[in-house]
Amino acid sequence: MEPRKHTQVSPGEKKDGGDSSSVLNGHFDGPVKRPAGGAGGTGTGTVRAAAPQPPGAESDPHRPAASSVMESWREERTRSVEDNEMSLPSIAAAYTTILRGLGEDPQRQGLLKTPWRAATAMQFFTKGYQETIIDVLNDAIFDEDHDEMVIVKDIDMFSMCEHHLVPIFGRVHIGYLPNKRVLGLSKLARIVEIYSRRLQVQERLTKQIAVAITEALQPTGVGVVIEATHMCMVMRGVQKMNSKTVTSTMLGVFREDPKTRDEFLRLIRS
Amino acid sequence: MEYHHASEMNGAVEDYLKMSKHNGWCRDEKESKNAADEDKLPHIEKAYTTILSELGEDVDREGLLRTPLRAAKAMQFLTKGYKETVQDILNEAIFDENHEEMVIVKDIDLFSLCEHHLVPFFGKAHIAYLPNKKVVGLSKLARIVEIYSRRLQVQERLTKQIASAISEALEASGVAVVIEAVHMCMVMRGVQKMNASTVTSVMLGTFN
Repeated sequence: MEPRKHTQVSPGEKKDGGDSSSVLNGHFDGPVKRPAGGAGGTGTGTVRAAAPQPPGAESDPHRPAASSVMESWREERTRSVEDNEMSLPSIAAAYTTILRGLGEDPQRQGLLKTPWRAATAMQFFTKGYQETIIDVLNDAIFDEDHDEMVIVKDIDMFSMCEHHLVPIFGRVHIGYLPNKRVLGLSKLARIVEIYSRRLQVQERLTKQIAVAITEALQPTGVGVVIEATHMCMVMRGVQKMNSKTVTSTMLGVFREDPKTRDEFLRLIRS
Repeated sequence: MEYHHASEMNGAVEDYLKMSKHNGWCRDEKESKNAADEDKLPHIEKAYTTILSELGEDVDREGLLRTPLRAAKAMQFLTKGYKETVQDILNEAIFDENHEEMVIVKDIDLFSLCEHHLVPFFGKAHIAYLPNKKVVGLSKLARIVEIYSRRLQVQERLTKQIASAISEALEASGVAVVIEAVHMCMVMRGVQKMNASTVTSVMLGTFN
């Protein structure tokens, strides 16, 4: 990789004191404006910065809202494998009602076991609720004296639109600048899986992935770009077959330094 | 893959008449069907609310507040093919034309729902027919695809229904339908093979 030209840390920002608050501080205190000429788009869709208010964030600009986001992902599991088994019959019964409501005959051969299959499938599509980052990351953080950009791109992602309960699918590109600690590469893909296998909104998904990596590694910066197709737009509604939605979250030096961001965006484009 | 000899085409047509049990509804019946849809909506909505809470989600959070209604309407849209009949959409678009060469409409985008997992599958349909003095408006071929695909389907049956509908409506010398689709039930879950696609075809009459 060519030598990076990003090492213009602003005075007062310590490079190796990188705890997550320094990366996130000030970035979640209300609507954040992207710097002009920010992320270059890939030309296939609209690039939007993900800057909604995180849950529980307050509008007080002096309180680092980041801490509530930190805590939220530590505590996140909302269901267990046992819960799944117990709720399967009621989800299957609900699907039988839906089939009848649509005018189909749930007793015909092709549909006999469909409520159970659909219920299991839906539980699989939302299995992210059963998993926590801590479980997935456990031992795969390594001390490594590497401070060049690490990118894992073209991670296939499948999620469910929380508004219409139809699939969203696309690709995730993740880049981070390690700060003495690197992460096992597949763990980046596993973090994507945890957050995407839920009822999601693409903007929130992008930010959750970025924040999880930041909290786990305390890197100098993280960039996440997601490019996805929403079946709710393709199969129904406006019915635009070829449209894609692109969202991105840039934290730390990726946000502050245009050259780093440029390098990241160029590398994921090729 | 199923192949039909010309003499068996009548059999396929009878199958098609049996399969599309909604044949022949008149306009009044269709309007009352739309009203019946509205009646069913609350039940479907309630079912979705149950599903969301059993999945461990918080149904009162802002993003999910109206999701049961949206999902119910989306599901009704995705299965609207049950209410439509070939007669309605073909009505005046069959023309006498002295053309006996192959007519192909290809790359018709197709979206359907797997009847086993209630998950989408989508792809392209390619249709060819050999007219027998009668040609059909080209968009009607795509509309026939829409009628049968907007249902809970199995790709094999979908292909056959489209082929049978066209041969019944046009009395063509031959009809061929090829569908190539990606099944989300294989991609998003189960075996999780991203790049696999399924191709089915039905050849009727002289195509056989």
